[in-house]
Amino acid sequence: SEYLLLLTQAKELPAQARRLCKINDGSLHAQLLEDLHLSETTPSPQSDPVITTRKVVSKGQNQVTIEELAILKPQTIELSCYLTDIPNNPPYLTGYWTKDGKGIVNSEETVNRTNEQYILKKTFDILAKDLGNYSCIFKEIQTQVTFVLDVPVIKDKRDKPIVSYTGDSVVLACKLKQTPNTWNWYKANNTEKGLINVTANPLNYKIFIHGNETKLTVLNLTEEDSGKYICSAEFDIKPSESYIELKVLSYIEPLKPFIAIVLEVIVLVTLIFLWEKCNKPQNDNISAGENELCSEQISKLTRDDSNGVENNTARQRKLEH
Amino acid sequence: MPRSASSNLGYTPPDGGWGWAVVFGSFISIGFSYAFPKSLTIYFKEIQEYFSISYSEIAWVSSIMLATMYAGGPVSSILVNRYGSRPVVIAGGLMVGVAMVMASFGTTILHLYLCVGVIGGFGLAFNLQPSLTIISKYFLVKRPIANGLAMAGSPVFLSTLAPLNQFLFDHFGWRGSFLILGGVLLNCCMAGSLMRPIKIKTKLPPRKATDEDDTGKLDVTSQRAGQDESKQSGCAAKLSQFIDVSLFKHRGYLIYLVGNVLMFFGFFAPVVFLAPYAKHQGIDEYSAAFLLSIFALVDMFARPGTGLVANTRWIRPKIQYFFSFAVIYNGLCHIMCPLLPGYSGLVVYAVFFGLAFGMVCALLFEVLMDLVGAQRFSSAVGLATIIECGPVLLGPPISGLLVDIFMDYKYMYFACGMMMLLGGIFLFIMNYYNYRWLEKEGKQRKVDELEIGSAKELAANEEDKDNEEEIKRSTAEEAADSTCKEP
Repeated sequence: SEYLLLLTQAKELPAQARRLCKINDGSLHAQLLEDLHLSETTPSPQSDPVITTRKVVSKGQNQVTIEELAILKPQTIELSCYLTDIPNNPPYLTGYWTKDGKGIVNSEETVNRTNEQYILKKTFDILAKDLGNYSCIFKEIQTQVTFVLDVPVIKDKRDKPIVSYTGDSVVLACKLKQTPNTWNWYKANNTEKGLINVTANPLNYKIFIHGNETKLTVLNLTEEDSGKYICSAEFDIKPSESYIELKVLSYIEPLKPFIAIVLEVIVLVTLIFLWEKCNKPQNDNISAGENELCSEQISKLTRDDSNGVENNTARQRKLEH
Repeated sequence: MPRSASSNLGYTPPDGGWGWAVVFGSFISIGFSYAFPKSLTIYFKEIQEYFSISYSEIAWVSSIMLATMYAGGPVSSILVNRYGSRPVVIAGGLMVGVAMVMASFGTTILHLYLCVGVIGGFGLAFNLQPSLTIISKYFLVKRPIANGLAMAGSPVFLSTLAPLNQFLFDHFGWRGSFLILGGVLLNCCMAGSLMRPIKIKTKLPPRKATDEDDTGKLDVTSQRAGQDESKQSGCAAKLSQFIDVSLFKHRGYLIYLVGNVLMFFGFFAPVVFLAPYAKHQGIDEYSAAFLLSIFALVDMFARPGTGLVANTRWIRPKIQYFFSFAVIYNGLCHIMCPLLPGYSGLVVYAVFFGLAFGMVCALLFEVLMDLVGAQRFSSAVGLATIIECGPVLLGPPISGLLVDIFMDYKYMYFACGMMMLLGGIFLFIMNYYNYRWLEKEGKQRKVDELEIGSAKELAANEEDKDNEEEIKRSTAEEAADSTCKEP
């Protein structure tokens, strides 16, 4: 009887506790493991016998609810749809499951009403290929609940490239809510991805990893460093990727508008001071002369301008001939 | 009606003509001074990543810039008293332009603190004070409108600089943007070149005065700064050569200072926290940013509008009351804000707050000019800004602390509203008494003049009587002599 008691207790123990039992009496332990093996039904290679459940409650008919679930490792998951507040309270409903819009075979079942609720559950084994959108659909009342199963998505992605300059350095960062096993950085050349190896290139790259965030520092930038950089969060099930675009410019680029603006300021300031000189009060005797000089200069300028215009038209006439 | 010190300028301000070009120049200078530190926040995230520092360390750049801008007030005033507005603004424009260009080559955050914060801050201080001073020199009758128009530069430039900075950042990164912004800020020099000094000929022979135009150029180059004959000696006398310290005895000025210090504690924090409050209520980022745009738009039109209203003959004489009303209205807006529900409530709040903010800003310097007059305005504004420096810088962090302690924005809004109400009510009551005292003093002066006048008359009458008596006596003596002489 003692032996039997131990057996039933062992069945409910999670995986780690079972391994600890190895310290006990050898023969008894062997017996326990054998019995447990027989009781395992689902032969999923990497799955944890602990099943995660996710439940969504939908009220009323003609509802579409979407729930996002972050999957970090392969697992068995039970999805449940609870329906309440259905008008006319029919005695039963028909529900079925779809994956990515395509119906799953043999998933249709009749759901009986229990305490004003209709419950539809299904268990799925999720590996990398099984990630997608799973929906439970109730035919009669057009109600649908969609579970989006995916690796955690890296949000706040910049849609515009980061700009930096040759000889400078730049820091690219990626952040997630969950902590992955590790982070990897790649540089994309057309269609291929090349892993960035810090030990091979210590002068050009530095990678900093701290739990759920990572930073890539690119030093001694050159124009070839422009392009797409991919940060990849490695999870058990599948990596989650995001990209950042880098653009490396030379210093001449911002210098051009800068010089244009400085020239504009100089021209305006000169014009304002000239205008002031020309409009000095006529009370001063000296300024009378200046006024004449000023108006001479201005008329000379306008004459030059009109000369230029005449030349242009003359040239045009020549070309036409 | 006591129009305290505005009329002892010594000349009639043009009130138009080139004055409007000067208003345009001031518009640009004031716009850059107020809007530029706020618009830099767009670059903070990337600079933070680049230097691997925390957010508070990068936020210091803006704070240092604002602090230096306010603290540089007295220095600016001294220079304006000495050299006039134009050279100071041009120097300021050069300083801030060069500072941004140097900052674009920065290798440490300290480099940015120095260049953008200190040098840039001083450059902006050299832009702000002189722009205000020169308006008081060019305008008297239309001064509130001129002030309102010039102060409208701040929201206009903020609305323009924010998208411009975003555009520059997307195309050039932070270094290239700083370089280009350095060039853009050089336009302050252009604004400064518009600020033609007013020339008054110091000795004005009476016959020549009739020849000259009323709006002709008068020369104030020999303006004495310590014109109010302060009979102090030594240090104080030297100081008053540069800046007018006797202002601290001016009753109206003291009222203005105390009221403003109270008000500024709650003035800027609501602007800073408008977007975070909206996001806290669950509103998305774009709608929250849109609230700020509504606020800026209303502000843009409220400032010249307030200038127009303040210029009417009903409001102008009692402009101090109008200012205290604006401050009280501001306070009421903040107190009501937490009571308004949802996004539409916040939109209504943004509109009313924009109006209130614009009113206060438009009148802020106009009432100071009204109190102390154009001669002492330069020193007055310098001293005022350095004293206001404290509450302006402490206000947002203290409000932030309130938000962190109570985890709710409504206590912060109540606190800000209360501070502004307190300031406004203080200003209202004290100005009521000030107006009464000024009236009494005015009447007393008139009575004294009358007395002196009547005393002089009496004395003149007495003299006449004496003269008459003497004449009578002398004629009588002559007659007596002549009769005596006749045998």
